[in-house]
Amino acid sequence: MLKLKSNVAISESGFVFDAGAGDSFSLNATGLEIVQLIQAGKDFPEILQILSEKYEVDPESFERYFYDFVATLKQMNLIEQDGED
Amino acid sequence: MTMNKLTFERPIIQRINAGLPSKYGMPRHLEPLSHIDGVSIESLLQEFGSPLFILSEQTIRKTYREAYRAFSSRYPKVQFSWSYKTNYLNAVCNIFHQEGAWAEVVSGFEFQKALANGVPGELILFNGPDKSTEDLRIAIQHQSLIHIDHFDELYEIIHLSKEMEERPKVAIRVNLDTGIYPLWDRFGFNFENGEAWDAINRIMTSQKLDLVGLHTHIGTYMLSTDAYRIAATKLASLAVKLERKYGHILQYIDMGGGFASKNTLKGAYYPGTDTAPSFDDFAEAITSALMTSDIKPDHLPMLILETGRALIDDAGYLAGTVLATKRLSDGRRATILDAGVNLLFTSFWYDHDVRPVAPISDQSEDTTIFGPLCMNIDVIRSNMMFPLLKKGDRFVVRRVGAYNMTQWMQFITFRPAVILLDKEGNSHVIRKRENLETLNSQELIPDHLQKFDL
Repeated sequence: MLKLKSNVAISESGFVFDAGAGDSFSLNATGLEIVQLIQAGKDFPEILQILSEKYEVDPESFERYFYDFVATLKQMNLIEQDGED
Repeated sequence: MTMNKLTFERPIIQRINAGLPSKYGMPRHLEPLSHIDGVSIESLLQEFGSPLFILSEQTIRKTYREAYRAFSSRYPKVQFSWSYKTNYLNAVCNIFHQEGAWAEVVSGFEFQKALANGVPGELILFNGPDKSTEDLRIAIQHQSLIHIDHFDELYEIIHLSKEMEERPKVAIRVNLDTGIYPLWDRFGFNFENGEAWDAINRIMTSQKLDLVGLHTHIGTYMLSTDAYRIAATKLASLAVKLERKYGHILQYIDMGGGFASKNTLKGAYYPGTDTAPSFDDFAEAITSALMTSDIKPDHLPMLILETGRALIDDAGYLAGTVLATKRLSDGRRATILDAGVNLLFTSFWYDHDVRPVAPISDQSEDTTIFGPLCMNIDVIRSNMMFPLLKKGDRFVVRRVGAYNMTQWMQFITFRPAVILLDKEGNSHVIRKRENLETLNSQELIPDHLQKFDL
């Protein structure tokens, strides 16, 4: 399961601070929603269900955007690498 | 009853970097460009195919008039001469000819093109090192203005003048030190070492040629107006010497071209829109140098300008379609377009202004923009903040009117159509999209290679 690193703090406005590395990031609104759902322990099918009820997006596109987004989070070292595979 | 859902924006996260690229900051958000002269780019792509070069007649004429005014308001006799190599699509050349520009050509092919367009031979300036004996003969017959590049050419023209019993009209091209680097000393005769004066003396003593002008072309994409001032001062001093020694009065001084356009050079700290001098700046430097020289006021020669890039760059657009987006190994976004360095030769030296056609997203990401070729060098922008376009979205590149429609390559794919938007916003195809037939029509297959069995 995807898990954010414990030293990553996320504000309500989408400001992300990685206390371990000292880097800061900003999320757009959908990015923030997804990160919050990941934090709440939701997996991809649940996140897809929640967001496709709220937004005009087809599952195929969402899947592409989602995995691309998660790849970026990994690239930025915000995701726990252990135990996720 | 269906519930109204919200518009979905793809999720993104961006690193926040401290510091800005310059103290004035740079806009992080790219405004989309949906229309050119009031015409929808999307509709043009649907009608004429993707990719597509689009030229604005309105912008060409406006830019020309602005340049002409800058010089003619400062100097009594000004003549522009359209630089064919910059963009020799006939429709484009004819716009400049309608505005009053002569033709400036650098090969027999361009010379023939100008003649075929209806430019009178005596209003064609023939520049460059590439003039065959046959080219020179035709130019002499047409009483064109031949700008001599080297002594071999000078002697050949003297020889032809005897053979043809004609009196060719010539100018010499002068290269000179204007304090800029690199020094373009491969063209013409050098000023500082006395070679230019030597060439003038040989022309005058031969008595076979009519020395009508002096020409220089100091470089390309010049950001320094002072270099033009120095060049004009040096040419004026030659004109003064010529009159003093031979009593000969020159008809013109040709300052060439090379004015920077508003494109941004790679590695430049500020965008070209902020750094390129205006036509007024160039005009002030050149005309003040001529007016304050020792040339007698009633002997002031006509001032000829061969500006190409600065007259046409802004009028050209390249529109097209996103083929795919992907991520590179380091996580950067890559966007692949259906137009690459094959059509946009200038992307080797400019950071081109690439825009989305439709508003896609307020979010942008550090992106590398690639063309469609199977080659690593096919990069339009190595990194720019660009919105997240998806397959099928349209893009447009601004300021591509100079050189791209003459230096484009037929490589891997066909060259696209070029259309011109007239003043009323009507679109005219001025060069058809190439197809298999266009290319195959030039090819021949020997008999023994006609058939094969697989």
